[in-house]
Amino acid sequence: MYKIDKNVYAYRCPKCGQLHYPAPMRCKKCGYRRYPEQEIEPNFQKEGYKPWEKTPLKGSCKLLTYTRLWNLPIGFDQRYLDFGLVEFENGIRASGRLLVDKPKIGMKLNVRVEKIKEFYGKVCYGLQFVKP
Amino acid sequence: MNIAYELEMKLRPPQKEMLPYPPKFITLASGEKMVIRQVKREEIPLLLEVIEPLIKIEKDFYDIVAARFYAELLGFFRYRVRDEYCLVGTIDGVVTSICNGRLVNDDLGMSYHTMTIKRGLRCGAQMFAAKMEYHIEILNQKEVFIVAESPIGFRRWMIEYQLVPRFHVQHELGGVPTYILTRDLYFAAKERLVTGTRPVPKGLLETSDTLILPEEYPQIPGWRR
Amino acid sequence: MRKVGVVGIGHTKFGNLSDYELVDIMAYASLNAMEDAGIDGGIDQVMVGNMGAGMLNHQTGIESALVSTLNLEPAMAELVSNGPASGSSAFKMGYMAIVSGMADVVLVTAGEQMRRITGWEATDFVATLSHPEVEYPYGLTLPAFAAMFTRAYMAKYGLTERQLSLISVKDHLNAEKNPFAHVQLPVTMEGIADSSHASVVNSYVSEPLRLYHMCPVSDGAASVVMCAMDGAARFKKKPVRIAGIGSATDTHCVHNRKDPLDLKAVRLAAETAYKMAGIGPKDISFAELHDAFVILELCLAEEVGFFKKGKAIEAIEKGETEVSGRLPINPSGGLKAKGHPVGATGISQIYELVKQLRGEAEKGRQVKNPKYGLAVNFGGFGNNVVATILAKE
Ligand SMILES: [Zn+2]
Repeated sequence: MYKIDKNVYAYRCPKCGQLHYPAPMRCKKCGYRRYPEQEIEPNFQKEGYKPWEKTPLKGSCKLLTYTRLWNLPIGFDQRYLDFGLVEFENGIRASGRLLVDKPKIGMKLNVRVEKIKEFYGKVCYGLQFVKP
Repeated sequence: MNIAYELEMKLRPPQKEMLPYPPKFITLASGEKMVIRQVKREEIPLLLEVIEPLIKIEKDFYDIVAARFYAELLGFFRYRVRDEYCLVGTIDGVVTSICNGRLVNDDLGMSYHTMTIKRGLRCGAQMFAAKMEYHIEILNQKEVFIVAESPIGFRRWMIEYQLVPRFHVQHELGGVPTYILTRDLYFAAKERLVTGTRPVPKGLLETSDTLILPEEYPQIPGWRR
Repeated sequence: MRKVGVVGIGHTKFGNLSDYELVDIMAYASLNAMEDAGIDGGIDQVMVGNMGAGMLNHQTGIESALVSTLNLEPAMAELVSNGPASGSSAFKMGYMAIVSGMADVVLVTAGEQMRRITGWEATDFVATLSHPEVEYPYGLTLPAFAAMFTRAYMAKYGLTERQLSLISVKDHLNAEKNPFAHVQLPVTMEGIADSSHASVVNSYVSEPLRLYHMCPVSDGAASVVMCAMDGAARFKKKPVRIAGIGSATDTHCVHNRKDPLDLKAVRLAAETAYKMAGIGPKDISFAELHDAFVILELCLAEEVGFFKKGKAIEAIEKGETEVSGRLPINPSGGLKAKGHPVGATGISQIYELVKQLRGEAEKGRQVKNPKYGLAVNFGGFGNNVVATILAKE
């Protein structure tokens, strides 16, 4: 939730190449397992295990749908926030904040990672979709 | 002129000439038309009757709002609050909601309370909007001091209008943190929050001439007048 | 396979019940269901449906608390949780308990209490259903997902905001005649769509969805007694048979669905229920569909096979889904106007099916001579859906 390296990643299955967002515990295409980056069981690095490749979500994307939300949950003091659902060129889809004046379904957008929330002093980074 | 009367006149605050609030009506979700107009002093005893049953209802802070509202209107009626006004919302003459406030000076308004009897139609939100409209657009004031005494109020006023905190100033309702509505904030929120049609057609306005007490209160199940 | 029926139903008023204890509300509905069945004990198993007592009431173990306050010890008791579809999932578990032979009589009670906290916090509570890393932190809520869905649907099929309001008007009209409904107040097209004041009176919650396109936040509980059909004769009323149950899941993240407008779990759940019942959509006399947002009444009606995609609105405009129409939808007022105490909703839907199939619904909202009723209970934003078909014996 609190990303220090200010990147949002998709995860590529090392066996079949399928991209996932968010990271699954097994590949939805071939079933290959993903082990956590930190050790959670002894000798978790199985022989021949290939780690999953992390790819930052970046570049251009297409807006699939959007909304302006006026009733925010507690923890947000803004009057409203805009959200969009986008598709990247590599096929990955994601939800995030939308920062364009007149959104239109199908419009081309760029993505950046910025602060989306501060929670008890902890900064939370996430996707923002902006005009290219 | 007797002595008691003379003393009474010494106690009464001076009253400023206030531009009246021009009546308007709003079509609610139910299709009913709510007339919002200014209350005449002689109508206050009836409004006290409207408020009284709610004084001991703890739920949603009705007790605090009702007890204070009662005192403010009594103070208005018996000449103990300066430059106070009260607006009423009626459907077919029945009181659905009321709001009040006062003028501190030409530039500054002091919002007091907003109270809804009829629920589910956002009457309270319309009354609060009418009150802000009165201060900013009719009385042409610069700022209004506002406090919230319930979580619902906080959401409806502070968040909805994006009011600015000014905690070091003292609102007349005591220690609750003070927030400010400025002209800019009002006009930014107006399109979304303020509505109504003027003038009110004669027949519709007349339905509001004689205020009628609500028969029942959704806040007090089973209670009937 | 053993046949199972419903022999008792109970319901509380939906609305603000924050002065009461959650377990007491659930107990009230349970006792009503037991009285309706004509029993005061003999329950083998209690299934409790609830989404958020741990968070909302700071209380866990409500299944044991309920059994105890009802004096039903040593009945078996479990809590079943599936977000806003918890009620139907508990019903499904009760059915499975009887079919398996582990129980003969099961009490299924579902309830939720959401009004002790503010609407602001309730919105957050429901949003915790979303993905904790890639959805929730952004401030996304269920209304926001429903709104994005609606926007895409409008772009594809040309639906308008005004057409959505037609569904609200119908639901409020039905709820006005339902004594348990949270909002018993009719709304009009003039008031919520056509008057020059409507954009303020019916303001946006999440564009393009407006206030009166969404359910209120409610407290409430509902309960049913179910039994093996071969033992149903000893109860006061004739049983209503459980003809089919189906449930299915879909991706947790909304963005991971191939087609953002495809509510696959709804379709699969309904198909399974139809198959078990040996019937199809055209056999259904009326339905209770999970219209937390009115767009869902439309899309669920399409996904369960009542109408072709994009066509449900035509039927609504023609009045076909009114109580007197060809295929009444949400004669109870739906979540939209009856209210949506999340965990309770599934059993509230079942309650309505039984009431209608028995012919006991209030005047003006009784469906004419129904044979089969369908309920769809929608968990998450469509990621865990339960469909139930009940039949008049
Ligand atoms: Zn793979």
